[in-house]
Amino acid sequence: MNFSFSDDQVLLKHSVRSALDEQCKPEHVRAMFDDARGYGDRLWSEMAKLGWLGLPFPEEQGGAGLGLVELGIVLEEMGRAAYPGPFFATVVLGGLGIQLGGNAAQKDKWLSAISAGTARATAALLEEHLDWDPASTTATAAKSDSGWTLSGLKRFVPWAHVADVVLVPARTPAGLSLFLVDPKSAGVTLAPMVGIDLTSRWSEMRLDRVAVGADAVLGQPGAAGPLLDSLLRRAAVMSSAEMLGAARRCLDMSVEYVKVREQFGQPVGSFQAIRHRCAEMLLEAENAHAAVYYAAWALTAGAEDAAIASSICKAYVSDAARKVCGDAIQVHGGIGFTWEYDLHLYMKRAKALEPLFGDAQFHRELIVRHVASAR
Amino acid sequence: MDLNYTPEDIAFRKQVRTWLEQNLPTEEIRNLEDRRAWHRKLYEAGYLGMGWPREYGGGGARPMEQAIVADEMARANAPAPTNSLGLGIVGPTVVVHGTDAQKKRYLRKILSAEELWCQLYSEPNAGSDLAALKTSAVDAGDHFVVNGQKIWTSGGAIADWGLLLARTDTKVTKHKGISCFLMNMRQPGVDVRPLKQITGSSEFCEVFMTNARVEKSDQIGKLGEGWGIAQTTLGYERGGRALARITNYSSQFSRLVAAAKRLRRHGSPLIEDPVTRQKLGRIWSEIEVERYQALRTLTLLERGEHPGAGGSLTKLSYSEFEKRFMEFALEILGPYGQLTQGAPEDFKLQIDTAVGDNGSWAYAYLWSRAGTIYAGSSEIQKNVIGERILGLPKETRADRVGGKT
Repeated sequence: MNFSFSDDQVLLKHSVRSALDEQCKPEHVRAMFDDARGYGDRLWSEMAKLGWLGLPFPEEQGGAGLGLVELGIVLEEMGRAAYPGPFFATVVLGGLGIQLGGNAAQKDKWLSAISAGTARATAALLEEHLDWDPASTTATAAKSDSGWTLSGLKRFVPWAHVADVVLVPARTPAGLSLFLVDPKSAGVTLAPMVGIDLTSRWSEMRLDRVAVGADAVLGQPGAAGPLLDSLLRRAAVMSSAEMLGAARRCLDMSVEYVKVREQFGQPVGSFQAIRHRCAEMLLEAENAHAAVYYAAWALTAGAEDAAIASSICKAYVSDAARKVCGDAIQVHGGIGFTWEYDLHLYMKRAKALEPLFGDAQFHRELIVRHVASAR
Repeated sequence: MDLNYTPEDIAFRKQVRTWLEQNLPTEEIRNLEDRRAWHRKLYEAGYLGMGWPREYGGGGARPMEQAIVADEMARANAPAPTNSLGLGIVGPTVVVHGTDAQKKRYLRKILSAEELWCQLYSEPNAGSDLAALKTSAVDAGDHFVVNGQKIWTSGGAIADWGLLLARTDTKVTKHKGISCFLMNMRQPGVDVRPLKQITGSSEFCEVFMTNARVEKSDQIGKLGEGWGIAQTTLGYERGGRALARITNYSSQFSRLVAAAKRLRRHGSPLIEDPVTRQKLGRIWSEIEVERYQALRTLTLLERGEHPGAGGSLTKLSYSEFEKRFMEFALEILGPYGQLTQGAPEDFKLQIDTAVGDNGSWAYAYLWSRAGTIYAGSSEIQKNVIGERILGLPKETRADRVGGKT
């Protein structure tokens, strides 16, 4: 039993930190606010070169063959830097989805392109009723002569406007199925959905009799339920890693600030009202760390409790990140409420992820289903 | 990162489990002699003082092995041994800071429960500000004369010996004038009176010392080193019960879920009530996060590292969690949760929580209030975390300005 990072994992963390410190400074993050696409090509190619884009994929597809602990390390750092771009959408939602359900041809095509930095992907997991249970899907796919015809409305599709492929769940006569859809296909309409976090881009995706080929099905028709459950668990844990990173950044900024900000003739960090709040923030961040990396390990190792650990992770970290980021604004006082100060970049990043892939309440219900039936 | 237990640890766990199956007391423990007998059985099996040096009766075991034994005992709902402060605080203090003669004289008798120990730290006016303690130990040539009052002395009524912090120098800064001693509790100058707590029981005592005698050979460390010694002893116990604590929570949680299946609200089982489900989901998440954290702590200990101020995070985390847990439990259990007598079987706790009476949610609830006060209140832990982990500036305090008590 060893619950600590290996030397290689520590090395990875440092290398991601230093690359993002260099190339994803707050100025870069802010510059992307007004960019039409919302991310920079230079950093994207750099990420391909550094092997981050292929991190969890097999070596045959140009990947590094690593697990979710390593991917979590990268995503934690991205949350910490409020990295603006389709990394999570591409590697987690698109890439892991294809890795979990794709056939050899689909994996060869997409995972190789993702690893090389030449393709971006995402998944459309949410509809207008905001139910994360895949069984709630209402979009439909009908068999056609050449393949399938998809119709439906998806919301909050991350980075769909720059994606080359979108994983779209839809109902077929055989049951819930998952399709690979080119968002530039005829019948697809994307409309931007702009939230408070300008580092996350979402689209509404309308599918009006969109034709896809017979080879666009991911996995067997009718068998997408378990596949989507697996993907949702991975997305829940990996988004928690990002929230953890954002929360850590908020905590670090708070600690540095309260050491130097003086009121009543002394640093405000010397007051117990502030110090105790910072101590509570650290406790939440440390517990969140344990929840993230335990779940990441459990999913990678196929541990018996992987599913429940994923829900525990998302439930715990959603609450913890909200507290830490919120408290960070409080201990900063007025400066933390200004646009020019960077704190809100990280706070909003965590806030944006809080309801995605199941909020705390959603996951607590899943947890109780596990534990109540086992007792 | 590999969170699987090693084959050795799994085999050891199996061995402990088998031993417990064969040796658990078949009859309820009614008095101190019963508990001593059980204690000796555990010791003879090698399950007490596992981490202490072999030459003084210990087992030289790894932290993980100690944690597994405690965990298996919790799983089997085994009665606790006696002499918890001897095992948890005094023994380790003597191991680290004692002379060879002291180790020879005291350690084995702690392990065998031949001599029971208490800890004489807190005073009526020295709680969180422990270094303000006033009990004095005056050099009288061949021994020290001790005068003063201690409070919150756990197990004081049955203790043969006490680990004492007393002031030996009033002319230096308050932290520097404190020394550490081993004091015989069975002497005329020591008067022990039980302290009745909000639980109605008296696990704690007040201890009055009037010209009590401490031998020169029973001084631990050098004069004036008492504060530093006390700081290290507070962290000794952490880790050993890391897994056992979680197993207890888990057993309690199972009882709570079972109760929620029996209770009804608005005509349906309470377990189907969404608000109750949310509460249960939150509790289980927190129990599991405590377990993950226990694994992190054990990883550190196994590598021979000391958690240091990180122990404050651990203690803050679980003691505050226990309060939330018990408050949720009593919300779910309604008035059943407050019963100390007459509770139907389904609404009893029936778990050895190592403190207070075995078996009632009401006691467990009341005891959860103690955890965030003893061994450094939550506020003190947060000060430690703020200063020693986050590096925040110390507050301006009257006793730091003058440099003297």
